[in-house]
Amino acid sequence: MADKSAQFAWRALHVDQVSEALALMTRYVVRRVVFMVVTLWCVVSVTFFLLRLAPGGPFDDQHRMPPEIEANLKASYHLDEALHQQYFRYLSQLVRLDFGPSFKQKDFSVNELIKAGLPVSLTLGAMALVFALVLGMSLGTVAAFHHNSWLDKSLSTSVTFGLAVPPIVVAPLLVLLFAVTLRWLPAGGTAGMRGFILPAIALGLPHSAAFAKLMRGSCIDVLKQPFVLTARAKGLAAWRVALRHVVPSASVPVLSFLGPASATLLAGSLVVEEVFALPGLGRYFVQGAINRDYTLVLGAVVVYALLLLILNFAVDLCYSKLDPRIRAPHKQPHV
Amino acid sequence: MRRQTVALCALSCALTLSAPINLASDETTEILRIGNAGEPQTLDPHRYNLNLEEHILKDMFIGLTTMNAAGEITPGSADSWSISSDGLTWTFKLRANRWSDGTPVTANDFLFSFRRVLDPNTAASLAFFLYCIENAQEVNAGTLPVDSLGVAALDPETFEIRLEKPFPYLAERLFYPTGYPVPSHVIEQHGDDWVKPEHWVSNGPYKLKDWLPQGHVELEKNPYFSLAPEHERTVDNVRYYPVADPLTGYHRFLAGELDVIGDFPVGELNALKEEYPDKVHVAPLLSIMYLVFNVTEPPFDDVRVRKALALAIDREILTTRVLQSGEPASASFVPKLVSDYESLVEETGQDLEQGRELLQQAGYSTNNPLRVTLRYIAGPENKKVHVALAAMWQEIGVETTLHHTELKVHFGDLRNGEFEVAQAGWFGENNPEHYVELLWSDIGSVNYGGYSSETVDAIIESAKNTANATSRADILKHAEQAALNDYPVVPLYSVMIRSLVDPRISGWQTNPRNSHGVRYMSIK
Repeated sequence: MADKSAQFAWRALHVDQVSEALALMTRYVVRRVVFMVVTLWCVVSVTFFLLRLAPGGPFDDQHRMPPEIEANLKASYHLDEALHQQYFRYLSQLVRLDFGPSFKQKDFSVNELIKAGLPVSLTLGAMALVFALVLGMSLGTVAAFHHNSWLDKSLSTSVTFGLAVPPIVVAPLLVLLFAVTLRWLPAGGTAGMRGFILPAIALGLPHSAAFAKLMRGSCIDVLKQPFVLTARAKGLAAWRVALRHVVPSASVPVLSFLGPASATLLAGSLVVEEVFALPGLGRYFVQGAINRDYTLVLGAVVVYALLLLILNFAVDLCYSKLDPRIRAPHKQPHV
Repeated sequence: MRRQTVALCALSCALTLSAPINLASDETTEILRIGNAGEPQTLDPHRYNLNLEEHILKDMFIGLTTMNAAGEITPGSADSWSISSDGLTWTFKLRANRWSDGTPVTANDFLFSFRRVLDPNTAASLAFFLYCIENAQEVNAGTLPVDSLGVAALDPETFEIRLEKPFPYLAERLFYPTGYPVPSHVIEQHGDDWVKPEHWVSNGPYKLKDWLPQGHVELEKNPYFSLAPEHERTVDNVRYYPVADPLTGYHRFLAGELDVIGDFPVGELNALKEEYPDKVHVAPLLSIMYLVFNVTEPPFDDVRVRKALALAIDREILTTRVLQSGEPASASFVPKLVSDYESLVEETGQDLEQGRELLQQAGYSTNNPLRVTLRYIAGPENKKVHVALAAMWQEIGVETTLHHTELKVHFGDLRNGEFEVAQAGWFGENNPEHYVELLWSDIGSVNYGGYSSETVDAIIESAKNTANATSRADILKHAEQAALNDYPVVPLYSVMIRSLVDPRISGWQTNPRNSHGVRYMSIK
């Protein structure tokens, strides 16, 4: 009996703690969501007014523009209204998740364009991330295992080179080699998944360099840890030590870098999509800005901002799991 | 942690493996692949605004008139037409022609279409192309109802257009997409969504199959299309790919991903001519590139200053040394390619001596040099041209500041008169009026420099009341000459179009309009 009441008491305590933790969590999530909405509103407002400040309008080009035609065009896009009316009209549309008609892509709504472009950008970003992770982590590990050897030094030099050379330089070189000369892969456009290979490499290369640098440093640290020395002393083969003990522990800082990296990969795809003529969101964004397509640019900005906010939020939520500093010491991998 | 790493590895393997699987699933059907200068903003012919949209639309619609492979105007949906003696009434006899859903195309479709393009609610940015039609401008401004437009369907096969003033160039004007018929029965049912591939209906050789924004526009044969035997199509499907960057297009052509591209970096021209002489096509476009002076403000309100700067320019150096694609230099504002027109403007060369003298007369000297800002549209080729112009002006003591902006900003500022001297260009039609009327004070904001001369206006207006094309051209010659004596603009050269066409494609002809109907082409 006594045992049972103790059990109940323990349970009550446990439930209390859990509900307290849940309440804390809920408060945290609510606070973050409110913060996200406010940030988004700021981003939308700043973009809305900055776009109107930019010189040149959506209908400026070489053609004649008789006043009655200008009036017809402005009326059809509500540009004849006062700026604050246009702003509130846009906000009220946005609340209903309606990005409005595109000013320049007249046959599509901005929602339709985003629906078509976003999957392309996400695929490109994901492939670039995987490429960067696999290449970066492998190179970093190899360099760490051959610490201070010629291999390590030459790898470090190429990593520095990789960090320094932006995709806009790498992309045309990749096209010339793999598309024009060897004809292995398409130079641009979407031809199934093949069309994504070169763009993913161009986009992922600088990040793989960053991952390699992180991985090398972290591996070197882990290699000095007693459990690795013990594993080696036990006569385990070097590759087995690397795969079973070093890489998992050394990956922690690399994985914690994933959040910011995926954010930059998404935002950084603008140039790559343009060079490879990939029909992604980045391309709409660039073309929309050139064409002064106010609604399309706003729509793309909202989607980008939302993605970044969500990614950052997710990373923050995962941090407690990923950050080694808050992990209990006894959870180190054992031999 | 290990699980995460394994999962990541598995994901990467899956993605890497998925690539070769897709290699096999490439298209096997033969598609003509054309690189177009960018993404169309619309495929609604009445709302179109860009030349690159015209390229796609001309394969899907046939207006009352159309073009042959050489870019000449030929009968289209209309078999023949007659013009009243005063030149004001044009009567078109339609030929048997069907929409891509099998419905016959009638005069009523044209009636609906002309009213639609001029309806203010359509907000067609190029509606002014048809302002030559009676009451068109008032209808477009909303001051007259659409049914007061000067068009009539006399019977299902006869369509009539009444003009405000005689306009001998109507047959040419009607091949633009603003003159295309649109399917009234589909638009009444689907509204603005009629342009979606699932609802699409058109009367041309091809119809819309699929549109992946920023990816491609694919057309397929219209099974009901029949015109003359020369319009027999051999290409089944055609895809237009947007390639805004000439270098990307060039790489995709070299990689065998595109069969035709309409532009490539000029630096590659000579090497390409040597390596692939059968692929390179270079031809002048009906166009004029020129400098425009803002004549409403100092220093260019003084004709001596304008003339001095014009005389300091050596067009031959610009075209042969700077541009190097064989651009025809032109002192006349009407391009030399315009048929049946002999400009009275003399091809004078550079005259630095007179230029210096004129500047001196206008009050400038080495101590008080003329300082001007020359504006141009950003781009490597434009930069070279305008750096060269600044160097030529330096020889007569002018200090030039170069200022480049992107196209939208450039023309936005030009329309508002916010410039001193600037680059401008005009292209399109094969008639002198299209160019000369830019110097008419009544033309609106495309007379960027605000030039206004009563003499020139009077000559242009008398030309506009002349029905006979030859007499009209004769009058326009005098307007051009009178205007250019005031130096409101300095004509420079005509643009060259540099295309690459795979030798497997036959039937592709260079022409001054740079218009290439797919129905004239075939793939070997």
